[in-house]
Amino acid sequence: MTNATAQLSPSRSPMEMAIDRVWRYFCSVRAAIAEIAFLALLVLIGTLRGSSVPESLANGVPFLRPLVDRWYAWDVFRSPVFAAVLALLAIAIAVCTVNRVPGIWQTINHPRIRTSHGYLNGADTSATFNTNSTTDELAGSYEATLREKRFRVLTERIGTDTHVYADKNRYARMGTFPFHLALILLLVGGIVGAQYGFREREFILPVGDTRAVGHGTDLSIELVRFQDSYTPLGTAEEFESEIIIYDGGEQVRRETISPNDPVSYRTATVYQTSLGHGSNMRVTDDTGVELYNGTVDVGLFNFAGNPDSPAGYVEIPAAGVTMTVVAPDIEPFNAPELDTLQLKNGQMYVMLQPLAGSDAGPQEFVIDQGQSIPAGGLTVSFDREVQWSLLQVAYNPGIPIFAIASFLLIGGLAVTFYFPLRRIRAVIAPGPQGATLTAVPLAKRDWSGKREFFQTVAALESGLGVTPRVKKPAGSEDWEHVPATPSAPSSTG
Amino acid sequence: METLVKLSFYCFAASSVSLAASAVSYIAFSVGRVRVRQATMATSTGSTVTTSRAEYFPGPAVAGRFGSMLAGFGAFFALLAVLFRGIAAERVPLSNMFEFSLTFTLAISVMYLIFERAYGTRQLGAIVVSIAFLMTVYIWMLPTNLREVDPLIPALQARPIMTAHVSSAIFAYATFAVSFAAGALFLVRKKWNARWLPSLEMLDDIGFRAVTIGFPLLSLVLILGSIWAHDAWGVYWSWDPKETSALFTWLVYAVYLHTRTLRGWRGSRSAWILMFGFAAVLFTYYGNYFFGGLHAYGGVN
Repeated sequence: MTNATAQLSPSRSPMEMAIDRVWRYFCSVRAAIAEIAFLALLVLIGTLRGSSVPESLANGVPFLRPLVDRWYAWDVFRSPVFAAVLALLAIAIAVCTVNRVPGIWQTINHPRIRTSHGYLNGADTSATFNTNSTTDELAGSYEATLREKRFRVLTERIGTDTHVYADKNRYARMGTFPFHLALILLLVGGIVGAQYGFREREFILPVGDTRAVGHGTDLSIELVRFQDSYTPLGTAEEFESEIIIYDGGEQVRRETISPNDPVSYRTATVYQTSLGHGSNMRVTDDTGVELYNGTVDVGLFNFAGNPDSPAGYVEIPAAGVTMTVVAPDIEPFNAPELDTLQLKNGQMYVMLQPLAGSDAGPQEFVIDQGQSIPAGGLTVSFDREVQWSLLQVAYNPGIPIFAIASFLLIGGLAVTFYFPLRRIRAVIAPGPQGATLTAVPLAKRDWSGKREFFQTVAALESGLGVTPRVKKPAGSEDWEHVPATPSAPSSTG
Repeated sequence: METLVKLSFYCFAASSVSLAASAVSYIAFSVGRVRVRQATMATSTGSTVTTSRAEYFPGPAVAGRFGSMLAGFGAFFALLAVLFRGIAAERVPLSNMFEFSLTFTLAISVMYLIFERAYGTRQLGAIVVSIAFLMTVYIWMLPTNLREVDPLIPALQARPIMTAHVSSAIFAYATFAVSFAAGALFLVRKKWNARWLPSLEMLDDIGFRAVTIGFPLLSLVLILGSIWAHDAWGVYWSWDPKETSALFTWLVYAVYLHTRTLRGWRGSRSAWILMFGFAAVLFTYYGNYFFGGLHAYGGVN
């Protein structure tokens, strides 16, 4: 930050000045905080969009309805504003981090050892030891105490005074870098995954069928077996699919997958998502030519008016119709009044709707398994019911980046928070009867830092056998371990 | 199994009572006593003027000690409740709102006691233990069918990662409860100059330290959740409302940390962010009541 706030030279070109301004903007902590806060606001708006809160708001205050409708219509997380804020933050993190490196490196490797007497006198917290020892003896004792408490000690002799700078956990200041790098990597991982990966959300496979994965792979998947079990209350207890993965037509894997237990082959990972039922249907024309022969998956949709009736449809351009198939009510005792179709097991309700451009009306009928029914110049056959498994097939090349980012993020936070930088400045000067040591913690308004400082002071006190004169801010009476000594007049709290 | 479930519930009931008594003790200790002193003075005109002045005194120390002891009992019984239920279910009980809240009660109590010991101050208990007690009240109000131990639905059958993900969330929220209490006491102490409360610096530090534990834990929640989502849903981030509300909470605490460490914010402004942060925690915690989406496991949707 210090570099960024350097004075602009009047001899600089407008371009240099513009770049400097942009650089300073991205280095600004205030701007970064505003960006994080704005991002939080967008996330809140997006979160509430996925909840019933806007709807309740519109119900309570009807004139807000148009606003709420726009709210629901706005996909915050895929909006340009959201992407722009993320990009801005990523740049700010990168620039800010680069800008902070020299200062932090300087503090770690070449800290200023000299401390002015004005600083010592003005500090709100300090401890002063008046001893009979020489300056060197006192410096030796002080250094030994600090080293015992794992401080790095740097000394500098200026005139008759010895200046001592001590710090602990100095490298922890670097923890901010992996943490912020991790945030950028998470974004990079997301972009890489979206750009170079693929995800088939609804990879439906009836038992016995094989389907190509596509997306530039030569993979195909066959569902060999599907098994599900339910609790007495009807909740799915477990379900699993036995699949075969073919690469270039050659079997390369035969695995059983279940939710939380996917299988990977090369770049593709196959996930068990859900389950459902389908019906094998055939459609022929008047001359017996087969226009459709396949499985219509029922369960991805529900029959209008009855959410317990699974339904599905398929477009058959060759026949000029859309065929909708509805299965029997899966919970007939739940809202039986909605079950208008009253289908029995082994029956399907079929509706043939002409594709756009035709004036013909829809054909509706109930068909039994194994039956064929002529309808509008076509013959529809219901061969058998089949089970299908809903899988997902995905490839995400961003995963390794995400894994690295996760380690960096948690590691960076742990280093930053659990190894806090502690610093103590001191000056040892010859006094009237011996040497005097005045120590000050660099812990302004840092309660823990001051507590640790007084622990060090207590250790030095027991080593020297001298009671220090302690100065501490008003209202900090809760440092109970501090030796009870007459305090100097308190400064500001 | 049924016996263990019942035993777990009795322990939970004992924990509720202990925490209620503990909260009352802590409040008595923290609120202190107010004594109104009256003084009558004669004026130069010969009339008398009576003035009154409120003086505040710390609460009885024994109430604080009693509060700590009862909080310890509350934590112990909550631990037993979790253990018995865990043995009965053969898993860590975290799968519905009853189990989650029960474990959360334990986490809040434990986290509070750790901070009490580390800082040697008991006044935080008036708020933190009250939150733990209110959590037990909430548990009592949940549908009774959630008290039964049910088998996990397939989506939740990923025990190690589920345990790590949800436990991290519970302990993150528990530490945020401590930071909330520190922030609230900070504001109280500052506004009413309540000298018997811990110093402003100490309260500020407690709030910060609690966030330095909670924030990495919340980060871990998001990461573990992403890993689990990757295995279960094929994608590590779905912009699901529960995910994004946790992200919102994370961002609020990120603002707190940046304003405090880089802008040097201390005191009331930081304390208000802690208040807001805990509101975000509650928003995420109770989100199952008004969120749709993939996290509809709590049994309360």
